[in-house]
Formats: sequence, C-alpha cells, structure tokens
Amino acid sequence: MSHPNVDSQLDTYLDGELPAMETASLEAHLASCAACGRFRHRRLALRQAIAGQLPRFQAPEALPGRVRAALRELSGSRRAHPAAASPAWRWLVLAASLAVVAVGGWRLGTNHTAAERLADEVFASHVRSLMPGHLTDVLSSDQHTVKPWFNGKLDFSPPVYDFSGRGYPLLGGRLDYVNGRPVAALVYGRRQHVINVFVWPVRGPERGATGLGRQGYHLLHWATPEYAYWAASDLGLRELHDFARLLKLGDSAAAASER
Amino acid sequence: MLEPGERERFDTVMLPHLGAAYNLARYLLRDDHDAEDVVQEAFLRALKYFRGFRDGAESSSRAWLLTIVRNTAYTWRQRHQADALVTEFDEAQHSMAIADVRSEAARSSSAARATLADVFARMSPAFREVIVLRELEGLSYQEISEVVGVPIGTVMSRLSRARKGLQEALMVAHREDLR
Repeated sequence: MSHPNVDSQLDTYLDGELPAMETASLEAHLASCAACGRFRHRRLALRQAIAGQLPRFQAPEALPGRVRAALRELSGSRRAHPAAASPAWRWLVLAASLAVVAVGGWRLGTNHTAAERLADEVFASHVRSLMPGHLTDVLSSDQHTVKPWFNGKLDFSPPVYDFSGRGYPLLGGRLDYVNGRPVAALVYGRRQHVINVFVWPVRGPERGATGLGRQGYHLLHWATPEYAYWAASDLGLRELHDFARLLKLGDSAAAASER
Repeated sequence: MLEPGERERFDTVMLPHLGAAYNLARYLLRDDHDAEDVVQEAFLRALKYFRGFRDGAESSSRAWLLTIVRNTAYTWRQRHQADALVTEFDEAQHSMAIADVRSEAARSSSAARATLADVFARMSPAFREVIVLRELEGLSYQEISEVVGVPIGTVMSRLSRARKGLQEALMVAHREDLR
C-alpha cells in the first residue's frame, strides 16, 4: 500500500466506514510506517479538537414547547373546548353554567365565552407572531422609534417602554388585529423568551391581572383606566406577573407626569 | 389531514431529533433566533410530508428530518440572510473556501490567533454541514449523503477537504503555542 492511499483512507477508517478488507491492510500499514502513524496521530488530535472546540448547540428550553404548539395549531387537533385544558377551568365552566341557570340569565354565559374567545384570539396571535418573519413590523429597541411608528396606523398612541435595565428589553412592535379592532402589539424579550403585549384603549374600571394557560403558553390580562392589556409568552406565570407589574408602574408614572 | 394517531406517531418519532435539528440549523445560520425559527418551520413542513416518510421509510427518521431542516435553513438564508449567496454552494467555489481558510489560518499566526471555531465558522456551509453531521451528530456517510443530497463520494471528499482546512488551522495554532 502506498502513502497517498492512506491519506484518503484514513478518515474513512477513523469514521468507521472502511470495509473490513481494506481495514486490515490499512492497520498493517499504519503499524509499520512511522510517517503514516504520525498522520494518524494528527487526525486523532484534530478529532479531539473538534469535539472540544466545536460545541453542540443546545436548543433553548422553550423551543420544544413552541414547536409542539405550532404543530398542534397546524394539525388542527387543538382541544375542541379550550376550557378543558385544566380541571380548574372545567370547574369554572361548570360553575359558570350553573350560575347562568341560577340567575336565569344568559349574560354571564355570553361574557364568559367572549373572554374565552378573546384569550383564544390572543393566543393564536402570539403563536402566529412566532412564525418566521411575523414578529415585528418595526424592529427597534428604542421606545422613541417604536412609539411614533404607530402614528397614523392606530387611533391611539400605545404606551411603550424599555425595561432592558430590568431584563425585559424592547424588541419592537407591530400592528395586529384582536377583539375586532386594530391593536398595538409590543414585543419584549426575556432571555430567550418573547413576550407579546397587546394593547388597545378601553374606558372602564381598573382590573387586576388574571392569568390563564394555553398549550404551554401563559396569558395575562389586566386593564388600566385607559387600556386593555393582554400579555402572552412561554415565560413562567410568575415572571409574566413581574413584567405586568413593571408595565403598570410605567403607566402610572406616565399618567402622573401628564397631570 | 392526518389519520388518528398519526400526530402522536409524528411526535414520538420526530420530536426526539429536535436537539440535532437545532444544532444543524444553528451552525448553518450562525444565529440563535434564525435557528429557532427554522427548526419550527422545518417541523411544520415535516408534519405535512410525514406520510411520505412513512411510505418511503428507508432512511432513518433523523436523517429524514435533518434533510428538511437543512433545506429549510438554505431557503431561509436566501430569503433572510443578506450575506448568503447561492454561489456559495457552487462546487467551483469550494476550493476558494479552502484557500480562504488557509490564508485565514496564515494571517492569524501573526495577528490574533483564530480558534478552530472561528475558522470553522468561516468555512462555506457545504463544509460546515458535513462536519456537523459527522462529528457532532454521528451520522453515517449514507445518511449524510441523503441529508445533503449528494453521492457518498462527494460526502467523503467534502469531509476530507474540511478536515484538511481545520487541520491546518490547528497546526498553525499549535506552532503559536510552541513559539
């Protein structure tokens, strides 16, 4: 066997893909030829270096959940009744329907369904935004770029903050359509996670944050005297609540400075 | 669209390869977020064509999924990554890529030393993908040939050229250490 042959065979051999016949003769040659032995040694060192210096990138923790949710969305195998997601919800639905019977009215039932439908809408919007190329229309971490971007696109100017100092950087914004109207969707980040905040103006009482789940995602809903808020993310509910508190603080500070 | 139980089968067979899918996409796109998006899109495509996999069922599920991940990543590069040129994958360009790696390694001996990872990151995707599939994911030549869509002989020659480039970078680095 000549050296050039070894050159081409050695990688195949080290990859465990050399046929048995050729393996035997190659091994015999390697044992007797110092130059080829050194070549083998270098190639082994290279393999070691590759193993040590080229990391195997780990998928972010949230990715499997995100992929599962997208698959469910696609295959249309989403639970026919979203309320069946958790026993607590089932109980609430039961309680709600009993209440409807008890008061002999239908209004409560309709309201409940409307809130559920809105939650479904927000969730679908969130998942859709995570599809490639859908997250932001205006990509900027600067609130003074994002806020004016909505001028002329919406009949209100949404509150935009940058909490990068608190670990929730602003990533951008986009127009979305929720609850039968155009709304502002502001995109914030938290580590590898994306938080979508949907905002539109309402006139009504202030409402504390209520959390609910949709297929591994969390939704949080609250209202200030001026705006209805929905936040959606695969973040844990606790962190999402923390983030909501930041937004509320920002809103009340802004309201105070306007007075 | 899918028969009952098909979705469960898909999840059982394909979701375990999510880590490999992400790693390949990450190396091809060199960006965390792009890699995540591509993995998601690839899984959606895979679900659509899952029937095709079951009918053909010759290749391994991992090679089958990684084929889709790779194609999705290449489409993504063309669409979203401005620096991606289709000519990069032209066979004629490959020797250029190796030449680049060589000069890169040579230059780095005088200036700040390029690590193996730096040199690897500058190689053309045609070389990166075979190294990732072989060295990091442990695919066989046959499987790599399916994923990349080239004959086994081409897989071998690309592997060998990529390794040559990396070997030179490593030797330059080593000489620096001895100096």
